Amino acid sequence: MGQERFADVVERFTNGFASGGAAASPETVKQWQEELDRNVRRLTNLGKLATAAEPRTGQTPREEIYKRNKSRLYRYASSRRHRTPILFVPNLGISRPYIFDLMPNGSFIEHMTREGFDFYLLDWGVFGPEDNDLTFEECVTKILPRMARKVLETSGAESLSVLGYCMGAPLSASFVASHPEIPVKNFINMAGPIDFSQIGLFGLWLDKRYFDVDRFVDTLGAVPADLVKAGFKLLKPTMDLSTNLNLWWNLWNDKYVEGFTALNKWANEYVAFPGEFFRDWVRDFYQGNKLVRGELVFGGRPVRLRDIRCPIFVVGAKEDYIAPPACVRALIDAVGSQEKDYIELPGGHISLIAGRGAATHCWPKVSGWLAPRS
Amino acid sequence: MADATAASAQFFDMWRKQLEESTQAWTRMVSQAAPPAPPDPLAFWRPVLNQGLEQWARMFAQTPVSPDLATQWKQFLDQWIEAWSRVLGQAMNTDAFAQLMGKSLETMLAVQAPIKKQTEQAIEQAVSTLNLASRTQLTAVAKQIVELEERLERVEDGVQAILRRLDKERA
Repeated sequence: MGQERFADVVERFTNGFASGGAAASPETVKQWQEELDRNVRRLTNLGKLATAAEPRTGQTPREEIYKRNKSRLYRYASSRRHRTPILFVPNLGISRPYIFDLMPNGSFIEHMTREGFDFYLLDWGVFGPEDNDLTFEECVTKILPRMARKVLETSGAESLSVLGYCMGAPLSASFVASHPEIPVKNFINMAGPIDFSQIGLFGLWLDKRYFDVDRFVDTLGAVPADLVKAGFKLLKPTMDLSTNLNLWWNLWNDKYVEGFTALNKWANEYVAFPGEFFRDWVRDFYQGNKLVRGELVFGGRPVRLRDIRCPIFVVGAKEDYIAPPACVRALIDAVGSQEKDYIELPGGHISLIAGRGAATHCWPKVSGWLAPRS
Repeated sequence: MADATAASAQFFDMWRKQLEESTQAWTRMVSQAAPPAPPDPLAFWRPVLNQGLEQWARMFAQTPVSPDLATQWKQFLDQWIEAWSRVLGQAMNTDAFAQLMGKSLETMLAVQAPIKKQTEQAIEQAVSTLNLASRTQLTAVAKQIVELEERLERVEDGVQAILRRLDKERA
């Protein structure tokens, strides 16, 4: 049956539709015209893509509130309808934080400010060799408390909400758990790994049986951006292929191309890890899973997740292979909060926070949970 | 007449039984004598290849020549990439792969460490000969600036704490 039809197709390819005297239907002709039009637009956009200027990202108005070495604290303009400000803590290293404010009408920060939140972003910055001694502990005991105090000072609020994304979640969870004197009203974990026994591929590759983090850091000093890039590319080797295929397929669509150029700029801008920070991150989290076990001590203070007692909201992404949902969800069982909610949304680690899917599924959920508590 | 019919039926039964037994014996002999199947080098990839070929056949079986063919071609490629991604994901999610990666990294570091050290020393010497600041010196200066910034912050914190206390006392 299949072979007969295949033969029919070959017949039509070689002899056209002339056999039997049947002509192509007007619908087919119209479809061909549309396809031709798309291909013309594809070629036009391909030319534009090759010569286009760098897309403008991070356009939501903001002011720099505070800076410490490479790190900056930004406050975004908004109507500030909600009294409790939000301190947003993204990942340190790996990538730049403008993914959260990628482009107008496609930005998490823009969404939050439109919803009336007083939004602060901690930009960890791009570290150089002079920062190789920066440790995880220093981030938790020095940088984060200072940033939180600056948020409270500039907003005039009595408490703040902390929102951690990716690595920013274990960083801020460690901070919230070990700094009861900082009045944190709400804590949100978005795709932040907590239980590293369920971390997936990275956990296996960084297992102490196979990866000697001390030798790695002692030799290289820091983790160069190219090596960070190689690690993430290896995690999903077919990603570039499918990205380029989808680009070609949607190249006729101006909106798609606009979004692609902005996202592509971000996706190719990797950031190095300071050496000592990477050592701590791999040894204490990936290899030791010390956060969940309650074995971390920062600045002489034990970090116990059960000491987090404020309302918490945890968001996991179903297809997240960097921080799988089970590993993110673990925070729910570890904290001492009475009020705790978990949702699992469609998408991956990045599409959870950026893109059309995020605007539909994730952002309204986060702002909706936070609004009555702010 | 009846005896003749019964005899021929009996003979036919005997002949059929003999034929069945001999067929079974031949089958047993042939199956025992058959050489073992050669190893299939594509066994690992077989599910992916089969899926791709099935998809290909289905696409051609159902598709008239129209622009829809491109859509189906795209769907086929998406599924193909997804299948490869799954296979690669499975292969990379093994201890053997992690071990291989660890060893490769170890080798890279073993090769890189002395080269890095020698290059740094050579550059350092060249730069000092030219009476220019080396990378190490610049890094050290940058570190000092960072430390200074921290000290200033601590002083600032102290002053603010004193001011807050004074404000409270005044109030």
